[in-house]
Amino acid sequence: MKFFLLYIDPGSGSYLVQVIIAAVLGAAFYFKTIWLRIKMFFGGRKKEQQPGKQEGHD
Amino acid sequence: MEEEKKNSSLVSRKGMIDTLQHPASFRDPAGFIFKYEGKYYRQVNQQYASHFEHFKSSGLYDLLLARQQILAHTELTENLTGSAQWYKTLLPQQLDFISYPYEWSFSQWKDAALLTLELVKTAMQHGMILKDATPFNVQFVQGSPVFIDTLSFEKYDATKPWIAYRQFIECFAAPLLLARHRSPELLKMFQIYPGGIPLPLVSKLLPFKTMFNANVFLHIRLPGLVGQNKKKTTQQPQAAFSQQKLFNIISNLVSFIQSLQLPFSATAWNNYYDETILSNEYANAKMAIVENWLRELPGTSVIDIGANTGLFAKAAASAGKQTIAIDADSACIDKLYTSCRQNKVTNLLPLCIDITHPSPAIGWANSERNSFTERVQTAIAMALALIHHLVIGKNISFEQVADLCSRFTVTLIIEFVPKNDPKVQLLLQDREDIFGNYNEPAFLAAFGKKFTVVKRSPVPGTDRVLFLMERS
Repeated sequence: MKFFLLYIDPGSGSYLVQVIIAAVLGAAFYFKTIWLRIKMFFGGRKKEQQPGKQEGHD
Repeated sequence: MEEEKKNSSLVSRKGMIDTLQHPASFRDPAGFIFKYEGKYYRQVNQQYASHFEHFKSSGLYDLLLARQQILAHTELTENLTGSAQWYKTLLPQQLDFISYPYEWSFSQWKDAALLTLELVKTAMQHGMILKDATPFNVQFVQGSPVFIDTLSFEKYDATKPWIAYRQFIECFAAPLLLARHRSPELLKMFQIYPGGIPLPLVSKLLPFKTMFNANVFLHIRLPGLVGQNKKKTTQQPQAAFSQQKLFNIISNLVSFIQSLQLPFSATAWNNYYDETILSNEYANAKMAIVENWLRELPGTSVIDIGANTGLFAKAAASAGKQTIAIDADSACIDKLYTSCRQNKVTNLLPLCIDITHPSPAIGWANSERNSFTERVQTAIAMALALIHHLVIGKNISFEQVADLCSRFTVTLIIEFVPKNDPKVQLLLQDREDIFGNYNEPAFLAAFGKKFTVVKRSPVPGTDRVLFLMERS
């Protein structure tokens, strides 16, 4: 295993890692947006009484 | 790379020019640093020409210059090296002193890391990216981190991820994480691994609780896991990458680095001048003498050895001197650096250096990075409340201290702390007193071999004495 590592360019090794991290961050952002919408849904109904619009988007 | 070195270095023009390629500047085929008639220049090679032109025409250079994030340079059209690869010669702003990352405190590392990430973001907005991410490309100029490698910017291909990502993690994130979760002293590990701390080692050293840290998992442990499935990935997966994806990664790294804070802990020296044994009266009296001398001295550069939290280094800086403050205690240096940034002190550079074993020369052929004593040359050196630590604490002779000081300074402000001093008694408490010759006459005899005493001033309220000496 160690032997292999010596012959791998660290730059190319990081390609896959960055693809994975980008995917994870993308997913995290997606769920965060949904969570924010849910919060807005409940928060919004209390204060502004406009839940209909948010529902339509989801 | 090797070929490049042969072609471009040491080519004398008209047989009389001392152009010399800098021993640390051989890895990048885009160009190199060389010394010519006492000044440092940078040659831009032809193969980098299009990147260099884009760097200027995109407005990136001007923007970074306006933000004081890059070292300024003047373009010269003369081929000083006579190299066939020559495209342009740059004369960068000359720096008086070069510090190395393993001499920085936690906050200095953090600022250098954040500067690097900001440069990546700004460069991407101008169609460029950083091709390397090493802290050696950052220097502290007028109190702030500044990027010094003009040739690190290359044209950005939005379908590719960041080529220097792994280097950034190993060179910035890894040392900062070890400092945060284990000890800031581990930043010195960078001296052993100047190319970046290997991630498997970082994983081993980090405490168990970091197993549950998402950022540590993604950036430190994940590369190890991915690396283990190498057989599957021998054909590079050409998954599409995008500018947005890279922006997300860089933003994530920014918030990751920003979130790293050292846990508060008082150190041995942090409260030195707050302690009761050394009263305010003593500090004030000593300050009055030192300030007076500093004001009278014409020299413009100062090094404060064993600066502690920098009370006297700050005085030197306020007297208008370009000051370097060194101390073995990284917490003191970190405190000093943060206070300088807050108070916008621009002529004081604090560094974590233990004068009893200063940074050695490291790297290829031991000549890539110079030792501290090779780099430092100042007009004035201050060694206040230091001599007893060296002589009694470390068994170093008066002669050795005088010799070392004489190597890098012309004027010396030194405090003699006599044996009856409470602090010396504290040092002698748990050891045999083998220092029969520790007294002022012996001190003066030893220093007299290298220096001439100009002024002698006892510090009121104590038996300590301040000396102003000139190198003979």
